[in-house]
Amino acid sequence: MNVPELLSAQKISGGYGDTIIVRGISMSLAGGDVLCVTGRNGVGKSTLLKLIAGVLQQSDGVIKLAGTELRGPAFVRQRQGLGYMPQVGVVFDNLSVQENLTLQYKGRSLKRYEALFASFPRMAERLTQKAGTLSGGEKKILSFCRVIAETNKLAILDEPSEGVQPENIALMAEHILAEKKNGRSFIVAEQNTTLIEQIHDHVLIMDHGEVMYEFSCDKNIREIINKHISL
Amino acid sequence: MELFALYGLNFIYGIATLGLIVLGLAVVFGLLGVMNMAHGEFVMLGAYSVLIVQGQGLPYFLSFPLAVLICGFVGYLVEWSMIRHLYTRPFDTLLATWGIAILIRKTVEVIFGRGYQSVNQTVTGTVDILGVDYPAYRLVVFVCAVTLLVGLFIWYRRSNTGARIKAMIANPELAQAMGINTARLARGTFVFGVCMAGLAGALIAPLVRVEPYMGLDYLLSSFFILVVGGLGTLEGLFIGSSVIGGVDVAVSAFFDKTSGYLAVLVISILFLWLRPEGLYARR
Repeated sequence: MNVPELLSAQKISGGYGDTIIVRGISMSLAGGDVLCVTGRNGVGKSTLLKLIAGVLQQSDGVIKLAGTELRGPAFVRQRQGLGYMPQVGVVFDNLSVQENLTLQYKGRSLKRYEALFASFPRMAERLTQKAGTLSGGEKKILSFCRVIAETNKLAILDEPSEGVQPENIALMAEHILAEKKNGRSFIVAEQNTTLIEQIHDHVLIMDHGEVMYEFSCDKNIREIINKHISL
Repeated sequence: MELFALYGLNFIYGIATLGLIVLGLAVVFGLLGVMNMAHGEFVMLGAYSVLIVQGQGLPYFLSFPLAVLICGFVGYLVEWSMIRHLYTRPFDTLLATWGIAILIRKTVEVIFGRGYQSVNQTVTGTVDILGVDYPAYRLVVFVCAVTLLVGLFIWYRRSNTGARIKAMIANPELAQAMGINTARLARGTFVFGVCMAGLAGALIAPLVRVEPYMGLDYLLSSFFILVVGGLGTLEGLFIGSSVIGGVDVAVSAFFDKTSGYLAVLVISILFLWLRPEGLYARR
C-alpha cells in the first residue's frame, strides 16, 4: 500500500525555555496511521506531543503536515489541520459541558457529536453541567469527543485513557479505528498496553527524550514494551 | 419622606454611575489581569471627547462614537506596543500603565490646558419622581448605565465570545489548541474595556469637573470596588459598587464628604486585609 506521507518530523528538539527535553526525534506518518508513543513517566512523551502541536516551539528541526511546514503557535497549527488533546487541563472547568464542546464553532451546533454521544451518553446527559464537576475520566472523555469531532487530518492525544473506565477505553479505541478508516492519522501517548494493542500501526518507545526503540505492527507488543520499559 | 426619596435616588444613582465607571476596569483588570493604572485617563479622554464635539458645535450624542474612536485607537496602540508582552507579568502592567497614564494626562494638558473645562448639559430640567424634583440628565445617565451593565452581563453569559474569553482566561493553552487566536481575543477584550471607560467618561462629563487630572479619583474608586466585589464576575462589580457607593453616599449624607471617603478607604483596607479575594470572586 502506498499512502502519501502526512506528517514528517526531522530531528526535532525542544523543551521548556533553555531546558531541552526532547532530543533529535524524527518520525514519519502516513494518512490513516496510528503512532503510539510510550515510555515511563517523565521521558518526554508529552513534550514531544506539545512540540508537534505547537504548544511549545521546537528549538531545532522541521515538522511538516501534508507538505506544509508547521510553524507558529498552536491555534495556527490547529487551523492547518491538527487536533490536540493535552494530558492535563483537558477541559475548561468553569464552562458547561456544552460550551466546552461548541465554543470554537460559530453555529454552536452539537450535531457533529451525535455518534460520540451514542457511545458516551454521559456527555449528552450532562451538557448543562459545569465541566469542573465531572470526574477525571469523564473530563478525558469530554476532551476526546472535542478532538475526534474536529475535521482535522492528524489528532494528537496525550494519554487519553488515563483514569477512564475500561469499557470507555474500548469505546475510545473503536472511535479511533473508525476515524483511521476515514484516513485520519493519530499520535497517541499511552501507557495502557491494551489500548496500544488495539489501535497501533507503529510504536515508539521513548527514554530520556530520545527514541529507544521503534517498531511497526508486532504481535508481541506487550513483551517488547515490557522488555524495554523495565530495563 | 421627600428627603428619604432624595437620598434613595442619589443612592441608586451613585451606585449605577460607579458601576458604569468601573466596568472598563472590571474587564481589563478583572478578566485580563492587567492592572490598568491608566483606566481613569481613558475615562478622562471620554469626557474630553464631549468637549471636542461641543467645541465644534455638534450635537452631544456624537461624543459617544468619538469617545469610542479615541479610546479604541489609544487602547489598541497601548496594547500592541506594551500590554501584549506583559499579560503574564501583572506587576509590570502596573508600571507600564502608570507611565501611559502620565503620558495621556500630559498630552491632554498640552492640548487643552490645565484648567477646568465646562461641558454644557444638553438634557436640562428636572423630573418629578416620588415628589422629588430630580435632574433629568441624572436619569439619562442612570438608564444608560443600567442598560449597558445588564446588556453586557447577559451578553457575557450567553455569547460564544463570552465563552471564549472565559476559556482563554482559564486555560490559554487549551484555548489555543482549539483554534482560538488568544492574542487577538485578548487585544479585543482590552480595547473593549478601555472603550467602555471612554463611554463612561462621555456620559458623566456634563455632571463632573473636566480637567486633565480627573482620572485619578475614578481610578482609586474603581480599584476599591474591584477589591471589595472580587475579580472576574459582573456580580462582583454590582456588589462592589453597591458597597463602596452605598457607604460613600450614606456616610457623606450623615457626616460630610471627607468622612465618606475615609469610610471607603477603611472598608477597602479591611477587605484587602481580611478578605483579599472580595465578596464574589471568580470561581
